[in-house]
Amino acid sequence: MKTRLPLRSALAVALMATLWAQTAGAHLLKGEASGFLTGFLHPISGADHMLAMIAVGLWGAQLGAPALWVLPVAFPLVMAMGGVLGLLGVPIPGVEYGIAASAVMLGAAVAFELRPPIVVAGVLVGFFAIFHGHAHGTERPPGQSALLYSMGFVIATGCLHALGIGIGAVHRWSWGQKLLRASGAMVAAGGVFFLWRAAA
Amino acid sequence: MNRFRCSACWLLTVLAVLLVAIPAAMAHESRPAYLEIQETAPGQYTLLWRTPMMAGRRLPVVLRVPDGIRGLREPVVQSLSDSILERRWIDAGPQGLAGKRIEFPGLQFTITDALVRVELLDGRTMQMIARPSQPWVEIAASQPWWQVMGTYTVEGVRHILFGADHLLFVLGLLLLVKDGWMLVKTITAFTIAHSITLAIATFGYASAPALPLNAAIALSILFLGPEIVRSWRGETSFTIRHPWVVAFAFGLLHGFGFATALTDAGLPRGDLPLALLSFNIGVEIGQLAFVALILALARSFQVLEIHWPRWVQVLPGYTVGALGAFWTLQRVALLVGALR
Amino acid sequence: MRTARSAGTRAFVALAVALSCGPARAHLNSTGMGPIYDGLTHFLMSPEDLVPALALALLAGLRGAAYGRRALFTLPAAWLLGILCGLAVTTTSTTTLGPAIWFLVLGGLVLADAKLSLRAMTTLAVLLGLVHGYFNGTGMGLSAPSIIAALGLAAAVFVLVVLVAALVVTLRAHWARIAVRVGGSWIAASGLLMLGWSIRGS
Repeated sequence: MKTRLPLRSALAVALMATLWAQTAGAHLLKGEASGFLTGFLHPISGADHMLAMIAVGLWGAQLGAPALWVLPVAFPLVMAMGGVLGLLGVPIPGVEYGIAASAVMLGAAVAFELRPPIVVAGVLVGFFAIFHGHAHGTERPPGQSALLYSMGFVIATGCLHALGIGIGAVHRWSWGQKLLRASGAMVAAGGVFFLWRAAA
Repeated sequence: MNRFRCSACWLLTVLAVLLVAIPAAMAHESRPAYLEIQETAPGQYTLLWRTPMMAGRRLPVVLRVPDGIRGLREPVVQSLSDSILERRWIDAGPQGLAGKRIEFPGLQFTITDALVRVELLDGRTMQMIARPSQPWVEIAASQPWWQVMGTYTVEGVRHILFGADHLLFVLGLLLLVKDGWMLVKTITAFTIAHSITLAIATFGYASAPALPLNAAIALSILFLGPEIVRSWRGETSFTIRHPWVVAFAFGLLHGFGFATALTDAGLPRGDLPLALLSFNIGVEIGQLAFVALILALARSFQVLEIHWPRWVQVLPGYTVGALGAFWTLQRVALLVGALR
Repeated sequence: MRTARSAGTRAFVALAVALSCGPARAHLNSTGMGPIYDGLTHFLMSPEDLVPALALALLAGLRGAAYGRRALFTLPAAWLLGILCGLAVTTTSTTTLGPAIWFLVLGGLVLADAKLSLRAMTTLAVLLGLVHGYFNGTGMGLSAPSIIAALGLAAAVFVLVVLVAALVVTLRAHWARIAVRVGGSWIAASGLLMLGWSIRGS
């Protein structure tokens, strides 16, 4: 949790700089550009969502190829499918629980260094991705560009995976492996907290 | 001939009317009001105020200038088909409008915005929007340094990317250089040379009259054309062996050209060195981006194994030469015309 | 000598005109730097055009230099033709359904590292260029500056495809090609979400 604020503000500053540069010449695009910003900041603003995303990256790094890239490739797509379900009005019961449970499960998988077959890992991650997409992909403020919101949302999610994979690069050292397992336990603990909060 | 021109005019008029009328017919119900303020002499301004007409009724928005301002002449009001145009000439005293607030009473009861454009004598231009939630705009007293820097950097990038003559000269140099080191030397020489004259001219130590300068810049491009052809033929010359010397010499000329652009863009009263530096940085950014783009394109063509036909290969060289020749003739003609 | 200040003035007046004419004219922003730059920036500022073109360039690059060469000439040419066809039409459509499907299809092909035949990819490029060019062209209005803007736009497409395809062709490392495919997955996922939005919108 400690890294959240600096990371968020750094990303926001970088984004503002890019967007400022881009919109300087095109006044008309202002409303649309804010759509990208909303979409981009959306996954970063929810701690439960963010924890689960980073955990996907960490797990991928632990498992190594091909899971290293299968998980981050599968996740956005299945998440988008969850988003479409949400947009079509298909109800998914217990979305909040699903998201919190995904943090618990993925955190536990990292903590115990579980090594299921790649198909099982993919299905597990995909199952939780549907919840994430359903909950977050549909929250676009009216008047902003759907295209840019979607792109911002997907790109932010992908960046969180990349962050997880980047952190997971310490896996090659023995102290790094311990560190990864510890951070997995922390993610799981965070998930338990959110689960408790969702139930309360 | 005359008849042909006449019918062409008609056709163009009809086209223009169609182009304007069709979108206007589908227009949204909230057209903005528009105010343009231009400083003509210190403290004196001309105002152009346009309020749109909607369904035959004028938008109920009034323009209120700050107190203590007197009109220099009677306002002129002009009724157009879709709007009312009002011109005012005002004197705001020695302080000018800086830090003052211009209000639009009535705007808060509409769903319309008012676009405001301000052009000041010190070269600053501001664009603001007054909204129903905030029916006034404030003219900033002075710009902070980073804003000055931003403005002039953008101006520099804009100038180099728009100035086809400078880009063509750089392209000509790129066609002449053979290797990376020579490229670095040439581009650096060009940069140093035009920075020198840009600074000298901006601070007013020297100046170049516009017409001969433009002709000389065109000549510098024309000069590169035959050299490029010579390098294709495998011949050599001083320019081909030492392109950086040519880049430096002609760079001095191009610097005067940049100075004209900077002066045209308007110089701030206080931050002249800063504006100069930022403008130059902008020019370098634009120039390096152009060089990088050309090199990346050349490399990409190589990677994609594209074998251009002969005429495409020589096209850039001939473009440099032909456009250089054209501009030289055109600008010399202008010069001669002005001298007579 | 054209001054930068007058360019700025023109840009703002064009903005005012564009705003006052409503959404029909909002299509081609004036940069105040001439029609070539207008067309160029229009392409670079419209993700619904930029991203599919990018995806096609990635796809061609993954398949190799021959595909890159083909895409490089067909896509801009088809795009230009599409714009010229669309110029005469004054109505504009702002549906996101079309771009969403292109995102999904092209992103999916990149993700799958699909072994397309050269002919299939050429067909895709021609279709993409024609459709997107047509929608760019509508609303520009039939005039000389529009045609020059169309040339600027096609040039931007050309440069994008050249640079991206060549970059991808040079990627030999396994992980680098994977990164390209991850990019494809992002594009496809964005397209899927957009598809949801446009279905719900209608």
